Amino acid sequence: MASIVVDMDAATKTLVAEKRNAKIKPSLIMIDNVLAAADSELTFNDVFTTSDSIVAATGAAVAGAAQTERRLRINVSTLACVSLRDELKDLIFLGLAQVVRTVAGVATLDANCHITFCYDFE
Amino acid sequence: MLELRPAPLATVSPGVPKILQEGYFVRFTDAWPDTLSDVKGRLFQIEKTNQVPYAITRIIPSGNYTDIDMSNATGGENIYPENTKTLYETLIGFKPGNYLIHFYIPAGEYMHRLEQTGMVPNVASATLRYLGARKPSDSPYDDKRIFSYSVKDLEPLILRVLVNSGIDYEKCVLGLLVNKCYLKHIATPTAEQSRLAKVIRYYSELRW
Repeated sequence: MASIVVDMDAATKTLVAEKRNAKIKPSLIMIDNVLAAADSELTFNDVFTTSDSIVAATGAAVAGAAQTERRLRINVSTLACVSLRDELKDLIFLGLAQVVRTVAGVATLDANCHITFCYDFE
Repeated sequence: MLELRPAPLATVSPGVPKILQEGYFVRFTDAWPDTLSDVKGRLFQIEKTNQVPYAITRIIPSGNYTDIDMSNATGGENIYPENTKTLYETLIGFKPGNYLIHFYIPAGEYMHRLEQTGMVPNVASATLRYLGARKPSDSPYDDKRIFSYSVKDLEPLILRVLVNSGIDYEKCVLGLLVNKCYLKHIATPTAEQSRLAKVIRYYSELRW
């Protein structure tokens, strides 16, 4: 198991790069928003590129493409510290794990919003 | 040339190696074609081995499939030997996920089918997609149970990987262990060597 702490000094931060032969399975996410200036809306994205494939039902070819899939979204109030563990049981990232912080829907950095991300490779 | 070895019902002590070892004998049946005359009907002893791990990954949308060509053809994964004295014993295992794998050799010809007309694998069918399909649990990544055997210029073995419905995307990870075996031809094998040899059948013998 590994862990990383990131400060949201940019609105979008990479948590873990893609490992080609494994999925990323988070075991703990802790969000410390105590000293942040505003409530944080955090979206955890799964960023990957699909392979070329064929639709089984029609035989149509589909070219590989970059994808960003939302895997988890949570709002954390200022002065709050939140941890997620059991809730992550079925959460998996196929590619790169990324977090985006917004305030009232607008991408906003705040270095006082800290995220601890613990994970395994599956 | 393609085997699924089920989990053993009993164990023996001392244990038996899972993969071909130095000194083992292998015999190719007479059904191998004349185009593969270097091995057809011949018995070999394995002089040396080398195990090479590898992984193949595809991320595919739900309801889609992709074909993985294991041969050295253009666009293939290059998992076939280039030397006529080399046999590749390739173990194939899968990381968990919501996907199925069908085997074809050569392209378009199913490895696993039943005898009744129409009972062939079909990824477009809600029922026939399960016919002849292997699941990741059939051959786990860390306990590989699918064995394939390839020699130079063998027709391509195709793995058709289908992501089953119910999710958005799936990452399909195929773990390989290529056991490279360098062969020494035994021109006049003894009866005992023939009895001990592992028989490697041509794929056409697995379909009837």
